[in-house]
Amino acid sequence: MNDSMSIPHLIMSASTVVQLVMLILVIGSILSWVVIFQRTFVLRRARRAHQSFEERFWSGVDLNELYRETPSEQETQGAEHVFRAGFREFNRLMAKTKSADAILDGVQRSMRVAWSREEERLTLHLVFLATVASASPYIGLFGTVWGIMGSFQSLSMAQQATLATVAPWIAEALIATAMGLFAAIPAVIFYNRLSSETDRMLGKYEDFAEEFHSILHRNLQGRSEAGAA
Amino acid sequence: MARRQRGSSAPRKNGRVGYGVPALLAIGLHVLVVVVSVISLPQRQPESQSTSIVQATLVSTETTTDQAQRAEEARARAEERRAEEEARQAEAEEQAEAEAEAEAEREAEQERQRQAEQEQAERDEARRLQEARQDAEEEAQRRAEEAERQAQLREEQEAERQRQREAEEEARREAEEEARREAEEEARREAEEEARREAEEEARREAEEEAQRQREAEEEARRQREEEARRAAEAAAQGLERAIEGESDSVSDAQQGDEAANSFINLVRRAVEQAWVIPPGASNSLDVTVQVQLGPSGELFGATITQSSGDSSFDRSAIQAVEAAAPFNELRQLPPAAQRDFRQFNLRFTPGDVR
Repeated sequence: MNDSMSIPHLIMSASTVVQLVMLILVIGSILSWVVIFQRTFVLRRARRAHQSFEERFWSGVDLNELYRETPSEQETQGAEHVFRAGFREFNRLMAKTKSADAILDGVQRSMRVAWSREEERLTLHLVFLATVASASPYIGLFGTVWGIMGSFQSLSMAQQATLATVAPWIAEALIATAMGLFAAIPAVIFYNRLSSETDRMLGKYEDFAEEFHSILHRNLQGRSEAGAA
Repeated sequence: MARRQRGSSAPRKNGRVGYGVPALLAIGLHVLVVVVSVISLPQRQPESQSTSIVQATLVSTETTTDQAQRAEEARARAEERRAEEEARQAEAEEQAEAEAEAEAEREAEQERQRQAEQEQAERDEARRLQEARQDAEEEAQRRAEEAERQAQLREEQEAERQRQREAEEEARREAEEEARREAEEEARREAEEEARREAEEEARREAEEEAQRQREAEEEARRQREEEARRAAEAAAQGLERAIEGESDSVSDAQQGDEAANSFINLVRRAVEQAWVIPPGASNSLDVTVQVQLGPSGELFGATITQSSGDSSFDRSAIQAVEAAAPFNELRQLPPAAQRDFRQFNLRFTPGDVR
């Protein structure tokens, strides 16, 4: 009895559909945890990188120098990426047009693109986490319902229905729900946490983009006045 | 423009964080969870098992009376059988007694015969003695006569003057002789009489003794027979009493608790009914009788179907119910005499009883 009620034994003796459901849930759980770890690392790095970049940016360094110091565009991330995209567009348009509005428009567009790329990068796989969080309880429930259905079918054939004969089937069916919850609960918790952190990072980027935009705008105001004079 | 296009279409290098380390971490986490659950669950299992006690269920009274009656019937039958056996034994004893009596009679007969023979022998002896005495007397007479003749001759030779005196003397001697003979005769007769009387006395006493012994034996046999009959009657009465008791028990549920045997039957029935899982397709008209054999401490020796319901799955469910309900440890609490009765009993299963 003790042996037949142990969880590995129950999993092994479950029906194929329930086993398949369990397999899906295990894979979902593993992948969601991979995403959780990976996102956590990514966000921690992004936070640190942003901190160090802001320090450098506000340390009074010359923007041309900063632009030259930063690595090429494909390797930059976060606020650095936004800064590079904006400053490159600014330099290019400065050579082609005198209109401050056109330059600022182009810079803003370019920075918005960079920002949206950053958003895409930061929120990567978070949707998967959300999917696991919301779908795995239902998948587990499906496995349970299927298992209990099967158990009742076997019950009607066996013509025997003591508690001892029903219990293992119900237990093995319920394992599917347990596994669904096991996958869903961490996914929900970490999805909320990671998405809020991502939102905060993106807000910081947006703030930086606005500040950078205002700096460029100030520069252009001075230059257009000089050009007009 | 070209640079921009290149920049936008170029494959993005997706972060500096790879997926290898997170994957390892995730898999490690799951392995840890599995290991913890496998290790800790077997320890938790026995605790949860101890709580799985199924309490009593409602039982209709119909089954109570029915099955109790059945058990009572079986008990009465067993009682009857025992009484019969006892009667047979008593009969055998009686026969043996009769035989012993006949033997005793035969012996007495032999004794009597032997005694008669002895008497005959005694009588013969006495006759022989008498004859011998007669012979001796005759001899003595002859001798005396001879002596007389010699004396006569001598006297005749000596003198005839003494003849008168001698005649007188002879007459006296003859009278003496006669008296002696007569006395002797008397003594002999007396002795004979004595011997006869003694023999008679002896025979009478022996006969009396024999008769008494016989009477005693008869008395003993009679007493034994009576004892036997009384015991058989008692046993029969007891069986009857118990049967009546059982019936009255089955009639009133309240009295059932009083009788230990009945409560045992109730216990068994309740346990079996609880363990019984009626097959879903079984109709209420099905009826199966299962014979249950128990060991001395209530363990199940065997459960066999004595009267099938015709539905094999239904029969099987009844057998399985009995097997699941065993062992019936309450058997040990019964008095030893009742224990023997309940080592084997029948249970009747009808779905209507439980539903």
